[in-house]
Formats: sequence, structure tokens, C-alpha cells
Amino acid sequence: MTEETTQESVPRLPTRLERYRIPLGLLVLVLALRPVVSSDLLLGYNAIASKMLIMMLFVAGFNLLFGYTGLLSFGHAMFLGFGLYIPAIFVSNGPGLLPAGGGVTFLFGVALAVAGVAAYGYLLGRLIVGMGEIYFALLTLAFSQAIYFIVLRDPAGLTGGSNGLTQGTLPAFVEQTRGEIAIEAFGQSLDWYWAVALVFLVGMLALWQIVRSPFGRSLVAVSENEQLARAMGVNTTRYKIWSVTFSGIFSALAGVLLMIQSSGAAIENLSVFTSGDTVLMAVLGGVNYFFGPVVGAFSWLFVEDFLTGFELWQFPLSELTLVTVDLSDILVYWQFLLGALFVVVVLTAPEEGIWGYLSSVAEWLRTKLTEVIG
Amino acid sequence: MSHTDETGTRQRDTGDGLSSSDDERPTIEPTVSPSTAALGVETLTKQFGEVVAVDDLSLGVETGELRAIIGPNGAGKTTLFNCIMGTLDPTAGTVYLSGDDITADAEERRPHLGMARSFQSNQLFADQTVLENIRLVAQTAEQGAFSMDLLRSHHTVGRERAIEIADDVGLQANLGTEATNLPHGEQRRLGIAMALATDPDVLLLDEPTSGMSPGATAETASLIEDIRDERGLTVILIEHDMDVVLSISDRLTVLDRGSIIATGPPDAVQGNQVVQDAYLGGMREEI
Repeated sequence: MTEETTQESVPRLPTRLERYRIPLGLLVLVLALRPVVSSDLLLGYNAIASKMLIMMLFVAGFNLLFGYTGLLSFGHAMFLGFGLYIPAIFVSNGPGLLPAGGGVTFLFGVALAVAGVAAYGYLLGRLIVGMGEIYFALLTLAFSQAIYFIVLRDPAGLTGGSNGLTQGTLPAFVEQTRGEIAIEAFGQSLDWYWAVALVFLVGMLALWQIVRSPFGRSLVAVSENEQLARAMGVNTTRYKIWSVTFSGIFSALAGVLLMIQSSGAAIENLSVFTSGDTVLMAVLGGVNYFFGPVVGAFSWLFVEDFLTGFELWQFPLSELTLVTVDLSDILVYWQFLLGALFVVVVLTAPEEGIWGYLSSVAEWLRTKLTEVIG
Repeated sequence: MSHTDETGTRQRDTGDGLSSSDDERPTIEPTVSPSTAALGVETLTKQFGEVVAVDDLSLGVETGELRAIIGPNGAGKTTLFNCIMGTLDPTAGTVYLSGDDITADAEERRPHLGMARSFQSNQLFADQTVLENIRLVAQTAEQGAFSMDLLRSHHTVGRERAIEIADDVGLQANLGTEATNLPHGEQRRLGIAMALATDPDVLLLDEPTSGMSPGATAETASLIEDIRDERGLTVILIEHDMDVVLSISDRLTVLDRGSIIATGPPDAVQGNQVVQDAYLGGMREEI
């Protein structure tokens, strides 16, 4: 009897289905995203779906540092910049024996971008994680701005300054026809969306494995109570440094995708606004959840695109219009609407976000449903 | 002749009046040399600006001893703990753990050397379950202060041990509860459980019964005694509840203004005039 009671009170291990909830969710997401958002009923073009996946990966990488480790980076655009610029510089210049525009050149560029961002993230982490939360935020901002201005100065004609890199940045295996991108390799053609989906899945699964590993749980301990973690023997400084490093790698990976998506490296992506948007997207989606950044990036891009492209409100149908309202004057202020939503989220539940609300509603529905059935 | 008589009388007096005299008389010296004790501090000083919180203090705690530290508010008890555990760097002096000078070791190293603490205010991983709170510490004890263990699920590390420890401190019914939703008394006990999960030889508890009902206080006191007996721990306890102190401690150390004014068995210290003055003096000052 007593044994039974004890058995029950020990939280059971997650079942197989629960354990693979997140990979399954990611799979459903990539399968459903393009058919839904790119349909004529919603946004009506393909490129937005791959852009969404790229930003989701970027913000999820950011959230490893913010949501899971408790370190707010206000300069995450700099990590994106490694992935944007280094492969683009390689492909357009063709350094040494590597031919310009070659696929191998591109892969070398990607390898260097990842190695470079890892080394940079590690050293930056060593330098600034010990200084306290506020200084961490300010110093990431400062370093990010420093990189922005270096790129803007166009050192040795490599970065293209304020124009960015727009010519010859795509490797030969990327085919562009009428705005649609495809990957041509080994005699096969792969649609750009699926190429992005593949990298997205690999990246997100790696992130998922990190946060569920003992290493990832130590990051959570650091973010929840650093003083306690240290007193219990956790080397909080080293965990923070590696969190910066990993976060940087995932963000640079998103940067590589963004470079191909936008056929080059644009300096706006390095700006403080990109860094700021990243924070807002993560908070909007819910920093406490793995899917928070995914939902945040989705909502952000969806609202932006939907509202800016939505000029005439025709009711009830465009084929059969009874009332027409011109909304373009109001909807150019889409950021105001997002801002209002952001304020609501922060005031009511700063760490929950949209995903937190959705989970609460789902939980409530489940309890109601079991009440009705059982 | 008379000289011999005097000496003889004094010796006999001491012998008859107090059995095993040296142990029972309150002293201000460390009872064991700090550098050979299970835990020792030698001429430890901690200053905050002009304020001397711990003043040239020496202390030695024997292996297996249950030592209580008492003293008025502001006597420097928690500061002493913080210096011992490396949360604060002492201004001067040395901290020894079973003979090794650990003064320069980082705070996060010390749990891996065999010492652990609980906090005066509940320090928890608030949004995590009781199980996860203890498991995180067990994981750290198993894997070291830093481990790049990326390929496994966290469920495979430290779980059984965490459940075992929760059982030992009577939290087995609360394993799935979020720490922040636990009642205060259970939170205090979770603090002890987490300290135990580091697998310490020396355990420092900072007011483990504060804010508890008399019943829960007595329970916690016997829990501490049981833990000490079963695991052969050395326990140092900051405590305000005199019933707890008198019932479970082997020796009692009284701190006042950063210095030890008496150390000895509880009964002997209790009757000590200096101690009573210190407490009364403290009370007068507060009024």
C-alpha cells in the first residue's frame, strides 16, 4: 500500500509520444507552413514561407541564450552577420584556389563562418558573461554596433559597405528563375523551401537535443537561480560562455540561409533594428517555451506581410463586393499593432507569450473535455 | 607543604566538581586545531568597509560533530558561512576542509570537495519540480562543475539518486510539485535535500527551522540528527530555536560581534555569564 503511494508520487518518465512531441511538431510545421501561409487565401507567395523558417531558426538560436540561460543579447544581428557575409564574400571573390561562384567555395565559406562565429562567440562570452546581466546586454549591443560599422566602412572592398553584397554571391548550385530559388545538385532539383526546411529541421533538432540534455538543464539552472547554481557546484561562467557560443552558431546558420534567400548580404540585417526585432519576436512568442520563438517569428512576419499587403477591405467577398474600405493608410502602421500586442504580452505574462497563452487555453480545454467525457 | 596542598586541592576540586572537566568548560579557543579538523577556520576576518562582520575568528569542528552556532542578529553567523563556502572572500584568514587550505578555491568548486550548504532564505530553482531541483544538483555532483554532456536526455542522469534523497528528507509525496508551490516548511527541507545531493562530508545549514511551526521544527531537528547519524556527516548549524540547539547539538558556539565568546557542550554554554550578557546586551541595543 505504502509502496503504491510512493510509486504514484514519483513523476513518471515521459512516454515515447511525449518525448518526441517537439520533433513531431517541427515536422508538422515544415509540412504545413508553406501550403498554408503561401496559399492565395493568405499571403499568396512562396518566398515568405522559407523566410519564416529562417527567422524561426534565428530567433530560436537567440532564445537558447535568452530564454534558457537568462542572458539578454541586444546584438544578436552580429551572429547572423557571420553567416550572411562570410560565405557571400567567399563566393563573390573566390579566394586562392577556390573559384568564384563555386559550390565548394561556398561550403568553405560556410565552414569558416561557423568556425569563426564559434571562436568569436566563445571569446566574446569569456570577456563579458561575468559582468552582470545589464552589462551583458549593453556590451553585446556595443560589439554588434562595432561590427556593423566595420562592415559599413567596406574594409578592403570586401563587404560592399552600405550597398551590401549583391553581385555573384550565390554559388552555382543555386538556380534563380523568376524569383523562385531551387538547389541544383547531383542532377536533381530541390525546391528552396525544402532545402531550408531540411536545414531548419536539423538545426532545430540539434537545439532541442541541447536543451533536453544534462548540459541544457544546467543552463536552465543558471537562468533560474545563478547564486544557488554556483553554491551547488555549477560552474555558471563556463555554461554561459558555451551558451553564447552555441547560440551564435545557430544564428549564423540562419544567416547563411538568409544570404541565399535574399540573394546577397544586406547591411540592414546587421543593424540594431534586427537585434531589437529578435528580442521582440522571442518575447512575443514566449521565451519559456521551445516553440515560443517559432510562434513569435511567425506572428511577426505574418502580421507584417499580411497587413502591409492588405489595402482594400472588401466585404463579404472580392467577387461580390458590397462594402469597400481603404485600409492602406491605417495598416502601414503594422508595427504599432504588433507593438500593442507586445505590450499586452509583457504586461500580463512576460515569459509566457503567445505560445504560453495557447498552451494555457489547450490545457483548459483538455480539463473541460475530460470533465465532460469522464 | 601548604603549596602542595593547594595544588592538590585545586586538582581534586576540579576533578570532583566537574566530570571530564576540559570538555565541559566553555572556552573561547577552537576545540580542535582548525588545520586538522573536518572543517576549520583560522584567524578569519571579513570586513565590509568599516564594519568588521567576522573578527579574527578561529574554529575547528570535529568529524561527525553536530555544531550549533548561535548569536544575536548581526553577530556574523551567515557571513561566516558565506566565507566558509566561498560566497564571500574573507579579508584575511584561512578556511580548511579536512586539513586542506581551500581559501582560494572558487565557490562552485567547494561542493565537489565535500561541503555543501542550505540558505537562510529559500533558494530554489523556483519553476522546476522538486525532483528536478534535486536532480540538477545530483547531476552536477556526478558530472562535475562543468560538463559538455549534450547527447543524452537529462532523465538518464541523477534521477534515481534524487528520488532516494527526496525519500530521505520526506519529500517523496511532493516530487512532481513545482518548488515555488511548496509550503514554506517543505521548501526549507528541499534546501537540505539539495545540499545532500552534492554528497557532502560537511553540511552547513543556515536556520533550517526558521518560520516553521513547533511541530515541524521538532521534525526537522530529528531529521537533521538522523541525516548526521546515517551518513556520518559533520554538521554545522546556525539556529535560533534554543530547543533545537539544546536537543541535537554536540557543541555550541556563541558568536557576538564577529567573535566567538564561548564554545562548549550546550548545557555548559547556556549557564555561561558572558553568553547571557551578550544576549541581554544585544536585546538592550535593539530596544
